[in-house]
Amino acid sequence: MTNVLEVQDLKVHFPIRKGGKVHAVDGVSFTLAPGTAFGLVGESGSGKTTAAMACARLTPITSGTVRLNGRDITHAAGAELKAARREVQVVFQDPYASLNPRERAGAIVRRPMDLLDIGTPAEREARVDELFALVGLRPDQKDLFPHQFSGGQRQRIGVARALATRPGLIVCDEPVSALDVAIQAQILNLLGRLKRDLGLSYLFISHDLAVVQHLCDQIAVMYLGQVVEIGSRRELFTRPMHPYTHALISAVPSPERIGMEAGARIRLQGDPPSPISPPPGCRFAGRCDFAQDRCRQTAPQLQRKDGSHAVACHRAEDPDVMAAGTAQALALQPG
Amino acid sequence: MTAPLLSVRNLEIAFRSGRDDIPVVRDLSFDLGAGETLGIVGESGCGKSITALSLLGLVPSPPGRVTRGQILFQGEDLVQAGERRLNEVRGNEISMVFQEPMTSLNPVYTIGEQIAETARVHFGLSRAKAWARAVEMLSLVGIPSPNRRAHDYPHQLSGGMRQRVMIAIALVCEPKILIADEPTTALDVTVQAQIFDLFNDLRRDFGAAIILITHDIGVVAQMTDRVMVMYAGRKIEEGPVADFVRDPRHPYTSGLVSCIPRLTMPPSDDPEPLFEIPGVVPAPRDLNRPGCPFAPRCARVMPRCRDENPGLEPLAPGRMVACWQEQEVAA
Repeated sequence: MTNVLEVQDLKVHFPIRKGGKVHAVDGVSFTLAPGTAFGLVGESGSGKTTAAMACARLTPITSGTVRLNGRDITHAAGAELKAARREVQVVFQDPYASLNPRERAGAIVRRPMDLLDIGTPAEREARVDELFALVGLRPDQKDLFPHQFSGGQRQRIGVARALATRPGLIVCDEPVSALDVAIQAQILNLLGRLKRDLGLSYLFISHDLAVVQHLCDQIAVMYLGQVVEIGSRRELFTRPMHPYTHALISAVPSPERIGMEAGARIRLQGDPPSPISPPPGCRFAGRCDFAQDRCRQTAPQLQRKDGSHAVACHRAEDPDVMAAGTAQALALQPG
Repeated sequence: MTAPLLSVRNLEIAFRSGRDDIPVVRDLSFDLGAGETLGIVGESGCGKSITALSLLGLVPSPPGRVTRGQILFQGEDLVQAGERRLNEVRGNEISMVFQEPMTSLNPVYTIGEQIAETARVHFGLSRAKAWARAVEMLSLVGIPSPNRRAHDYPHQLSGGMRQRVMIAIALVCEPKILIADEPTTALDVTVQAQIFDLFNDLRRDFGAAIILITHDIGVVAQMTDRVMVMYAGRKIEEGPVADFVRDPRHPYTSGLVSCIPRLTMPPSDDPEPLFEIPGVVPAPRDLNRPGCPFAPRCARVMPRCRDENPGLEPLAPGRMVACWQEQEVAA
């Protein structure tokens, strides 16, 4: 079966005024199998959103290739790009900013079909009714404006709009992080149900590891424009290998860890280095407890360990580093 | 028993809308002891933030005002205090860190000037001494090379650094109470962990009490001693944090605790759907009907819940809940 998405050595560099360039995404590769959810996690500035937007052809690609359902869309234009747009749609983070306040909900959901010339007007209207039901909105709400909906309902409109063209792939850019805690569960359950019922694939961007663990089958951890670790949900969380992944897991405040000594946590110092002139060696070396001279001199390549699990760290199999990973995984075990 | 540092008694805050006063906080009482961290939890619109603002006399007025009750800070009622007295309390005794560190800093002054100003106004320090104090505070909150960084403008700093500056401003006068309203919502988890380490240091080193407002159950579990859950402007449950996480009694509290995905080991390959609290928080205007305000969203609703609003009843020392079902079980 063809992969929904194949990304090979993707680079997105943004030029800046002083000369130089921001290495927003710097050599990212991954594949997304049909009916699965792929999570991109990392801190702000790690390039996760830029990488995903490049996959949806919403940001210029500097080099590398993006294949959607087997077709190379890296340089697609005109009718070819329009056809690709039917197959990949986006759910945005902010359900307040991503809906036109002057358009009615029904028109917002219909818009992608209008723009991509899908179906007759009557068919589009019928599809809008179908989509409203699918995401848990009432058909009579089609005539309302975005401000008449709650945050959770607005995100349902955003999901309905993304589904309008019957895409196989949806890019979800932090779809629940702007929502209230009780509403997040409603939207995550909706996304889970749609994935199962419609066989959808997701490219899911989040900084919340718990959300990613809940929804994603495969996960890539990004740091400063690069993937530092990638693996299945089980591989990544039972045996986290990269010291940065350890730190991310450790930093998640969790009710399971109530009363756990703060000393058992990994404290990351400082901020990531500048993406304008990234350091020559491992980009995480400056904040890593295990960094040695070779880490600062040569950049580690992503190396496959077992199954789909791969990590970019010179010392991933060093006993000290492995023990640190085991400690973080164990800390998550219920009491 | 010594009197608590802060004791809020039967507080009611209302907003004027047309000819009516619409209460957004009702009959709220709670205590805060020295060195303690109290979590206030609930969805947006439950009255958490406005409660925090009221402690500093910052309820936007008009249209809002405290319509009933007392805010006793070391025995003094701040509801009755004049603007001049409140200005002494703000910053000196009680200070606040807001959610959005970008909009809370002045973009046209250096961060050193903004901290020094606070020190000058509150302590009457000279410019040179106030500047030295600002640099010292930046160092205290973990900003590297504080001498140089003090000359930076807010836009030159990352989100985590800006929030540290906000905390430095809040702490420059060594307040007895620090109120933090979603202080890390805009920050990455690793930065959040750094900020919380800093809070814990402050509590230890200065004995400050902290009120932490958040909707993140994980944050509550990690940071607080005691938790107060608010719904529709009322306190509906209160207790030690371990009880809140492990044995929540109010259906709303247990909903909040179980509706979040949790990082687990080993991970499930096919996770169950999350628990959902249906519906949304009611608007304050819709709360004048009788009955429990949570009844329309409650899975365990009984006929009585729709007619009478349950009061807070103690379950155990330091634990209370406002729910008919729990109270009938206890009786």
